[in-house]
Amino acid sequence: MSLAFIKLEKSYSAPSGKSFKVLGPIDLTVKNGEFVCLLGPTGCGKTTLLRIISGLEQADSGKINRGAGRLGYVFQQGALFPWMNIESNVMFPLKATGMAGSLCRLKAEEILDLVGLYEFRKSFPHELSGGMQQRTALARGLVTGPDLLLLDEPFASLDTRTGINLQEMLRNLCRKLSTTVIFVTHNIEEAVYLSDRIVVMGHRPGRIVRDESLSLEWPRNRLSSTFTEVLLSFRQTFEELVDLSISS
Amino acid sequence: MNGEVIHNDGRIRVSGRLTLGDLKDVTASLEGISAGNHVLDFSDCTSIDTCIAARIWSITEAKTANGALLEFQGMNQDIKALFDRFRAIDERPQIPVQKHTLLYNFEDIGDKVLATWDTVFGLVTFTGKAFKALFSGKVRGSVVAYYMEQSGVMAIPIVITLNWLMGVVLGYQAGYQMSQFGGELFMPALLAYSICWEIAPMMTAVLVAGRSGSAFAAEIGTMKVRQEVDALEVMGFNISGYLVTPKMLALFLVMPLLITAANFAGMAGGLTAGGIFLKMPAVVYIDALKEALIPFDLYWGIIKGFFFSVIISVTGSYMGIRVRGGPAAVGKATTSAVVVSIFLVIMVDALLSLLFIHIRPGLSL
Repeated sequence: MSLAFIKLEKSYSAPSGKSFKVLGPIDLTVKNGEFVCLLGPTGCGKTTLLRIISGLEQADSGKINRGAGRLGYVFQQGALFPWMNIESNVMFPLKATGMAGSLCRLKAEEILDLVGLYEFRKSFPHELSGGMQQRTALARGLVTGPDLLLLDEPFASLDTRTGINLQEMLRNLCRKLSTTVIFVTHNIEEAVYLSDRIVVMGHRPGRIVRDESLSLEWPRNRLSSTFTEVLLSFRQTFEELVDLSISS
Repeated sequence: MNGEVIHNDGRIRVSGRLTLGDLKDVTASLEGISAGNHVLDFSDCTSIDTCIAARIWSITEAKTANGALLEFQGMNQDIKALFDRFRAIDERPQIPVQKHTLLYNFEDIGDKVLATWDTVFGLVTFTGKAFKALFSGKVRGSVVAYYMEQSGVMAIPIVITLNWLMGVVLGYQAGYQMSQFGGELFMPALLAYSICWEIAPMMTAVLVAGRSGSAFAAEIGTMKVRQEVDALEVMGFNISGYLVTPKMLALFLVMPLLITAANFAGMAGGLTAGGIFLKMPAVVYIDALKEALIPFDLYWGIIKGFFFSVIISVTGSYMGIRVRGGPAAVGKATTSAVVVSIFLVIMVDALLSLLFIHIRPGLSL
């Protein structure tokens, strides 16, 4: 699914009644099948942009052109339903589409097998580790075969090793399913490892300060000099932004 | 203790390396300064703890305000830099404190009116969405049954106990007053009217608002904080249909039953009070009730129950869905759910009571 934002803007009202602009104007086009990382410091409006794309929030002005198709969303804390077991959680978005129960189960089992959780399908979320819960959330996001997958810092609360494993799994699954992905993160290494293109966002209001397609080959080696070079380049941009936000 | 403070005829010599252990001595020496000119000599002081420096600075400021003049001398570069930072903080422009002027008070009232209007408008819109979802969506029977159990079956003991107690209290008080002029026989009628027309529906509504309204707000609020509501919305579920209508339907079904149970419990309380305090035989009490009450009196509680169930379920759910931020907001939402529900229940009850006078057979003003 392709996506285009034209002069997108969003403001919030503070408790004092004052309005402050959190986003925009944002102009961005995402091609079909592209894996785009929105990289930026905390509070720069990445999540707000993601919520606007998903329809959870409305922009104040501007336009979003979103092609027709299914949408998947993976939240930072998973947002799994605690009263359902893993299988039911993964089947749930399929039920919303009106799919027959047996087919839902079959699809859920298939995707749970892909993320390595088939054996845990009858467990409840609280019985699983953080990494397994995030894998379940990923499975739930992907089970409908979404044309657009939105991920909001899904691996932020995980340890480095688990995070790396899940990054590899996500990248492979998305390449396999040719899904358009918008991945929000403040982890530069994660962004450089995963994405075809990195969009760096700056602070107050959130805006695009750097937009670059990566020419790194697949599979990517985190220890290679080219990877490190790209990483350092984005780190420099990122640190400049953080310094700017602290001084302001 | 490494440093030393010697107070000598208007000259205070600070020497050595002042650390936190010197705090007591430094404070005692400086607190003893009287009005007039003094010199704080740091020539022999090699270093100073930030905490000691802050104390010296604050005492100096207090003494200056009381008419003393303290001059800092002989500071090395580090100590000077430290005191310069304190000075810079003091010299920062003070943020003017907003005075509560008349205009401010008017603005405050205006803000509160707007916020209340916002809540009322939101609640009305939310109620509309809930009804639309109720009539257009598929009802999940198992979920409705779950909430019927939680809000209805589990509430029976408390509803019956409290309404029975209310019946006892009302029966005793009414009986006592009426016995003053030999009118004990009117107690059952007075009690039955009070219980069926007002007390039982109102007490039940208050109890259900406290038990279930707060639970609905907490449940949906927690889901909101954990982004489960967002997840449902992204998946394409209608939030009103999925989260609100089962609760509304469940309360709609159990509330009239609870009020009916409350009616009988209240009248049983009156029977107890009549028996114990007025020595009234049960048959007399029941005969008096039969004579006073008509079926409409019992139906009235059921009618009120329908209104109250909608108010409590929708308000609880609305307060939950409005939650923004963290767990603290859930606590606030539950409080608001109970307060607003009870307020609206009393308001609607008052309106219905006005109507009641005109529609109850055999009642005229």
